[in-house]
Amino acid sequence: MVLELRKPRPVWQIMFSTHHTDVALLYTITGLAFLFMAGVLALMIRTHLFFPGQGILISDPATFNRIFTVHGLTMLFLFALPFAAGIGNYLVPIMVRYKDMAYPKLNAVAFWMNPIGGALLWLGFSDTSWVSYAPYSVIRAPGPAADMMIFGLKILGISSILSSINFVVTILKCKHPDLPLRQVPLFAWSILTVSLMTLVAMPSYAASLIMLLTDRLGVSGFFNPSAGGDPIAYLHLFWFTFHPEVYIFLLPAIGMMYELIPRFSRKPLFSQASGIFAFVMLGLIGFASWGHHMYSTGMDFTTKVVFMIGTLAAVPASGMHVFNFLATMWGGRIRFAAPMKFAVGGIALFFSAGAGGVLNSAMPLDFITHGTYWVVGHMHLFLTGTIAFGFVAMAYYMFPFITGRMYSEKLANIHFVGMMWGTVQVFFTQHLLGLEGMARRIYDYPAEYTSWVELNQIATVGAWILGGSFVFFLANLIYSVAKGKEANMDDPFGLGGKYYYPYQAKNPTHHTGY
Amino acid sequence: MKTIIVVSVVTLVVLALFPQIHFANAQLGQKTSEKQYINLRAEVWNEFFRMTTAAFVVGAIVSGTMIWLVWRFRESNPKNKTPTRWEKFDDPTTGTYEEGGH
Repeated sequence: MVLELRKPRPVWQIMFSTHHTDVALLYTITGLAFLFMAGVLALMIRTHLFFPGQGILISDPATFNRIFTVHGLTMLFLFALPFAAGIGNYLVPIMVRYKDMAYPKLNAVAFWMNPIGGALLWLGFSDTSWVSYAPYSVIRAPGPAADMMIFGLKILGISSILSSINFVVTILKCKHPDLPLRQVPLFAWSILTVSLMTLVAMPSYAASLIMLLTDRLGVSGFFNPSAGGDPIAYLHLFWFTFHPEVYIFLLPAIGMMYELIPRFSRKPLFSQASGIFAFVMLGLIGFASWGHHMYSTGMDFTTKVVFMIGTLAAVPASGMHVFNFLATMWGGRIRFAAPMKFAVGGIALFFSAGAGGVLNSAMPLDFITHGTYWVVGHMHLFLTGTIAFGFVAMAYYMFPFITGRMYSEKLANIHFVGMMWGTVQVFFTQHLLGLEGMARRIYDYPAEYTSWVELNQIATVGAWILGGSFVFFLANLIYSVAKGKEANMDDPFGLGGKYYYPYQAKNPTHHTGY
Repeated sequence: MKTIIVVSVVTLVVLALFPQIHFANAQLGQKTSEKQYINLRAEVWNEFFRMTTAAFVVGAIVSGTMIWLVWRFRESNPKNKTPTRWEKFDDPTTGTYEEGGH
């Protein structure tokens, strides 16, 4: 599992390798690099909004639109998906006791689509927002930026489908015959669930992107009202993919917590079956709620109610995960090393984000909050508060196994406090901004609206704290890779016992799994 | 595995039927479509407040439990110095509640 950072190996050998740990390393580093790039864009947006009416940092609305578009696209498609695929690449073959991914070359090809797609998104710097709603994206969005974005997303979509096929085949067809599917660890179950969801959800978005492109080229009018098209049709196609996609981002983070919480509680997982059940339920329910993004489009009452109930149906399944975590921690002897701190912090914020989701899904309140900063706060609380917390926890957990060195616990503690504080300050405040009526995606606002000014400034200070905490994270990674203490590879966190997956990777004859 | 699939499907069917039965009952006593629409909105608000109340009560209990868990079961707690019974194994996380791991 040690990934050759200590063994001198030419970079090109890792880059052109098809071994699952090499591809995993590439995915993980790419994901983290894009996280920092998109984070800089977020700080630019927040710093700009600190000073109403002054145009500091971002001089015109078009540039502002481009910045938040690329920020969103990067965080979702170039950080969240590749990072989850990276950890999946490390652990899934080991968890199902197979030598590699089912299709190693396909795996490498799927990875290499990410930098290409990323380059198209960043070189184009489109202004359509990450959702690219029609008719703006059809009739007004300037090319070639929007076209490059469509091509970039197309490539990233194909990459997701290829890696999903690979994960599904690896887990279902290549797992060891002695390992029943119900005993496959829950992280692998989370990857299986999201891979199947991707295969069902992604074609709808792939179709809508082609239709968007042909509409832009003027050869069709699917979403163009002046050609008899219907922009609402785009919303249905888009959200049919992207509400499930919320779970595709979320479930790997939950799977990572399933890996960490028993480990650091030094006791067995409370219930494997309820974890599997909750993953399967969320995988199915994820497709029953896309309409809640579109209540204000003139849907009939019954349809809205069905989508409302469909959305709320996710609550019991999400609760099952949380109760499973709590029951696992109960009676343990918990070591709060950095991975466990971030995992527990992520669970705590998962609750707040979930409560916001319950309110969003209720249609009367949805009309009040639709298109406001409430929605920005809600989705970011999920993406940062739960998903990024889970991913960062896993990054710290995997660090000694990847590099053979320990990270600095002191810097990790500063990172944790800053990230927790910053996340709460920015995104809770954005909920309040939404209730105050501030619309999302606006370049400027009147300085006379004192409540908006105050709340924006509080949110911006929170964003600086959050951004600052990631400077400590980056410094920790760079410093510890070069000069960190040598890790005890059998038990780097001092928990006692042998670490199952990394230990097994180094000692293939050893197996003590569930 | 089969049990999980069957339970998932049954749960989904129940969840899908619930709103239909609920709103079909609400419609029985109504005559005009306009009146029906207004009353159904009130139904939704009532449902919303009931669910929000339940969500916040459950949220407070679970969050409180988690804070207590973190404080009580941290390894630095004096009451928690003795190794747990699972720590004598090579991998203390082996097994689950269903398989007698607890």
